[in-house]
Amino acid sequence: MTDVTLRARLVRPFQTALPSVLSVALALAVCFLAIVASQGSLWVAARAYAEMAWGGFGDLPKLFAGADASALTRPWGETASKTALLTLTGLSVAVAFSVGLFNIGAQGQMMVGALSAAVLGGKLALPWPLHVAVCLAGAALAGAAYAEIAAALKLERGVHEVISTIMLNWIAVSLVENWLVVGPLRAQASGDNSISGTDEILASAQLPRLLGETSRLHAGILVAAALAVAVWYWLARTRYGFESRAVGLGPEAARAAGIPVAARVYQAMALSGALAGVAGAVLVMGTEHKFPATLGAPYGFDGIAISLIGQNHPLGVLASAALFGALRAGGTRMQLLGVHKSFPELIQGLALLFVAARLVWETLLSRFRREPAASATVEVPRA
Amino acid sequence: MLSVLEALVFSTLDYAPALVFAALGAVLSERSGVVNVGVEGMMRAGAFAAAVASLAVPTPLGVVCGMAAGAALAAVHGYLCIRWRSDQVVSGMALNLVALAGGTFLLEALWSPTGTPPIEQLHRWVLPGLDQVPLLRALSGHSSLTYLAAVLPFLFHFALFRTPVGLRVRAVGEKPAAAATLGLSVPALRYGCVVGSGLLAGLGGAALSTSTLDRFEHHMPAGLGFMAVAAMVFGRWTPLGAFGAAAFFALGNALRIGLASSAPGLVEVIPQGFLLTLPYALTLLVLAAQGKKGAAPAALGTPYQPEAR
Amino acid sequence: MQALDDASLEIRDGERLAVVGENGAGKTSLMNVLYGLYQPDRGEVRIGGEAVRLKSPKEALARGIGMVHQHFMLVPSLTVAENVVLGKEPARHGLFDLRAANEHVLATCRRFGFALDPEAPVESLSVGSQQKVEIVKALHRGARTLILDEPTAVLTPQEADELFAVARQLTAAGHTVIFISHKLKEVLAIATRIAVMRRGAVVADVAPGATSVKELAELMVRASPTPLSPSRVEREPPPGAQLPFSPSGAGGEPPPATRPPFSPSGVEGPSTSLRHARGERSSGSDQVEPRTPVLEVTDLTARGSRGRPALQGVSLTVAAGEIVGLAGVDGNGQRELAEVLTGLRPYDAGTFSLGGTVLCNPSPAALRQLGLAHVPEDRLKRAVVGPMSVEENVTLGRQHLPPFARGARIDFAGRRERAARLIADYDVRPPDPTARMVELSGGNQQKVVVARELDATPRLLVAVQPTRGLDVQAVAQVHARLRAERNRGCAVLVVSLDLDELLAVCDRLYVFFEGRVAGEIARARFDERFIGRLMLGARAETDTRD
Repeated sequence: MTDVTLRARLVRPFQTALPSVLSVALALAVCFLAIVASQGSLWVAARAYAEMAWGGFGDLPKLFAGADASALTRPWGETASKTALLTLTGLSVAVAFSVGLFNIGAQGQMMVGALSAAVLGGKLALPWPLHVAVCLAGAALAGAAYAEIAAALKLERGVHEVISTIMLNWIAVSLVENWLVVGPLRAQASGDNSISGTDEILASAQLPRLLGETSRLHAGILVAAALAVAVWYWLARTRYGFESRAVGLGPEAARAAGIPVAARVYQAMALSGALAGVAGAVLVMGTEHKFPATLGAPYGFDGIAISLIGQNHPLGVLASAALFGALRAGGTRMQLLGVHKSFPELIQGLALLFVAARLVWETLLSRFRREPAASATVEVPRA
Repeated sequence: MLSVLEALVFSTLDYAPALVFAALGAVLSERSGVVNVGVEGMMRAGAFAAAVASLAVPTPLGVVCGMAAGAALAAVHGYLCIRWRSDQVVSGMALNLVALAGGTFLLEALWSPTGTPPIEQLHRWVLPGLDQVPLLRALSGHSSLTYLAAVLPFLFHFALFRTPVGLRVRAVGEKPAAAATLGLSVPALRYGCVVGSGLLAGLGGAALSTSTLDRFEHHMPAGLGFMAVAAMVFGRWTPLGAFGAAAFFALGNALRIGLASSAPGLVEVIPQGFLLTLPYALTLLVLAAQGKKGAAPAALGTPYQPEAR
Repeated sequence: MQALDDASLEIRDGERLAVVGENGAGKTSLMNVLYGLYQPDRGEVRIGGEAVRLKSPKEALARGIGMVHQHFMLVPSLTVAENVVLGKEPARHGLFDLRAANEHVLATCRRFGFALDPEAPVESLSVGSQQKVEIVKALHRGARTLILDEPTAVLTPQEADELFAVARQLTAAGHTVIFISHKLKEVLAIATRIAVMRRGAVVADVAPGATSVKELAELMVRASPTPLSPSRVEREPPPGAQLPFSPSGAGGEPPPATRPPFSPSGVEGPSTSLRHARGERSSGSDQVEPRTPVLEVTDLTARGSRGRPALQGVSLTVAAGEIVGLAGVDGNGQRELAEVLTGLRPYDAGTFSLGGTVLCNPSPAALRQLGLAHVPEDRLKRAVVGPMSVEENVTLGRQHLPPFARGARIDFAGRRERAARLIADYDVRPPDPTARMVELSGGNQQKVVVARELDATPRLLVAVQPTRGLDVQAVAQVHARLRAERNRGCAVLVVSLDLDELLAVCDRLYVFFEGRVAGEIARARFDERFIGRLMLGARAETDTRD
């Protein structure tokens, strides 16, 4: 029995994670070669990667050269705020995957969440901790409600969620960015400089900064990490999570076993949307302090990559979000060497592509393990 | 009023080819049983390669380069999905992300963050005689891609339903094991369709950068690939249906631009954001109304395993 | 696993050869070698004296060998003609010549006396017609030798008769037809030569005129691992006792006398061995009387998957302590009834009650709460979640109850303990509760399903095709478990397309025909020929062609 437990506890998670780790490593290597090729210099590529690391994980050389702690805390702040958003959207995608839905709509759900947080944060007057909680809850509710549209279309009308969530993304962009934020909810211009986006939220609705003013490290990362653990607990430890996974991996068997399939799908999709909505709230309440003219980076799509690279496991999502959050924070420093700051996104995309080729890894690894190759399972459950 | 209508038709015809080609590409791949949500990325590759190539060679040749770029991306998709039985939606999304970031990276590495330098647009054909007739005038003055986009769906439809190869493609998408027992190669047919899908998506992208506009812009194709996939679903996986849906989306887009410019008063009453949502909301409504009547190929998304019959 | 062991077979031109043998005897494997689907490790295929290597169906087809699989290889959405010509399409100017394809199908139909509409979509055809499409398809590809894998398994007896007529016409026209079958009566009626396979080898080659069903049955089963005979199981376990899942015949004992897998065509009626088993059986189960009904179904009406009426006023009861079978040709409503009873299919009219509780379109969860257990037909789709572990699958259906959960939390220790116990009790291999379900063989998967469902000590067990695809030993084990449940006092309902299986395990049978109960027969009156007529419904009475 201990033998079995050991296998389950240590070996299996390692085996599961290995393809992702190798994929990320391979993506890093390929992109390294891409810089070498485009810049014609091994040295530049090495320095670019070093800059990315210092910019993401903390500027150690600068610290040793006698700089103050901000050499560490400033990069950490950037990394943490990006990690928080990637974790939340990644969790959003992973939770939908658990019941077999491919939620491409995290972007739209995040947008309505962000708008709700901006409105609640700007228009309500509440004392500090309560105001933050209300804004987060409002954003979660808005994101959940928006996601339920896709769930209802899927369950009641058979509309594939990939199509419906893409449409809902565009509808959110059109209504929020092209109407509300430039129209009814536009900030009042003060003085002669016109302001884009909504009004700033009140100070009572802002997520507190944790490391003083030099670092933008805010409590969003704590929210994200806590939610990652909570989602993990729900999926792995509770019977509701188990039932959701059963629905995702074998919907017919789940139905025959008496599991309420539709209810679990609605619940998971609500949770998925809520997580995306909280991502929007964290962006507004932690970093922007208002709904900006445009949400900027396609965090919702990044969530897909983060979730899949993290093997749809909440803690895997947290790990891959931390890695790519750091690479992105550090990526801006590569510009000094003439490497565009979108480079980490290329690494991320390639890593996802390599993760998609999961069976290649399994075939390669099984040669070393001298075990029959694991049977060809598709990594994404489908309803 | 007539001139507004004329502008509307002209704008639709200018904008439609990209969507039509990409939607046809999606139909081709999915009819053979391989999900292709990577159309967006393939269009981006096509748009980029066509514009860059056209800086050096004549634009029509650039368009061919764009198609090749789309096909190259599709070949990767095919390799992962057919040879390695990867999840087809995941593979497609991964290619989208690679194309998005890769395009941005190359654009910045080679030119500016916003776009390539302008290229010589594809020749616009003035149809003699027609360009004098009111209203019908709108049909004249488009690039050859517009006229191709009007003909290709019919050819494709004919090929799919009236040729031996079309029959085989349909069979492979419905029940690959049956096709395999008859000595047909499921992988070969699927590779062909996926790469063909990349050629078409690449052509769609090239239409954006060489015909609709005269350069590659950093956000291209800005979600058109996903619209194309929606058009395919909307059109129930048939070439003519996808063509109709793509034309409808193009019209919706033209309507939005047209209304904003020709009737600014309207925009005051109905916010532009509302108009923007129209095609998407309509698509959702139509798909919801269509309901669960399955039109998708039966084997769509299922990797073919010869031993697992 | 070795499926074939030095099997040799000679096929002569123009004959109707039957290859018979038990499940797993290697019949289909041998034919797959002939059709190029499998490559032999050793040995060769010679055609007309010339050794050939058939690496794919394409090469077999090129040599004139065609095969009609048990599961048809047709594209449902395409028309008959399109299916026939697929891969070898008539073309004119590079275009698909639909007219020529239709003409070709009609010509073949005329020649062999089929009635097929070339423009009908295959999905709209009956099973018998689909089989004819398969045959026309093989002929279109120039097949001179046709392999038919279990061709009558899914046919009504008249459709089977039609098929035999076709086979005679084919051989009259110079074709060779090979039947794979285990229905000995049919084989004797149609074949010109019979090859018997056992344990991967051809053990006998006989002429139908010189043998009997009895002799063939003996040739097929001699010295093969034998299923437990009904009589043995009857005697051995005391009601309610834990029954080991391994065959009790193990341990040096000589294998118990087996029932012949096929009851003889005998004009004289049931075989002696069967009658013997039945005699003991009825005395054993009579003790449970008087029986309390557990399941009562009244006038149930429901529609099938395509909206066609599938059940038209079905009434039946299943009492505690009996095994009731639903017999019928495939597609006569038995499957739909099982789905209704397990909460997976809504019904339009009628009522059913479980343990006295009258239900109205109940959910699977509600039914399970009332004591339903369900062994579904499609194992990987409905019974287990393949990518999940054995222990996770063991909890399905009771995942919210102790010992699998405590409140909302999963009870990992309780789950592991129960899974380990069931694995040991039922001899599941590998004995690893964390193994993923898909890594298990079909027989072991079924053991897990049966273990899980019976662990809930159900009041009613609905088992649909519980032994499909299992080897002889596993079949015996499942049957033993069903009997043990019956003896414990459970009401057991078995749906099977295999009449022999039902005759072996059931105390009572309902025969289904076109969504209605065509007859109800107690074990004492089991008569295969009578049941067979009921399975044909009224049509059998009017059919006087043969």
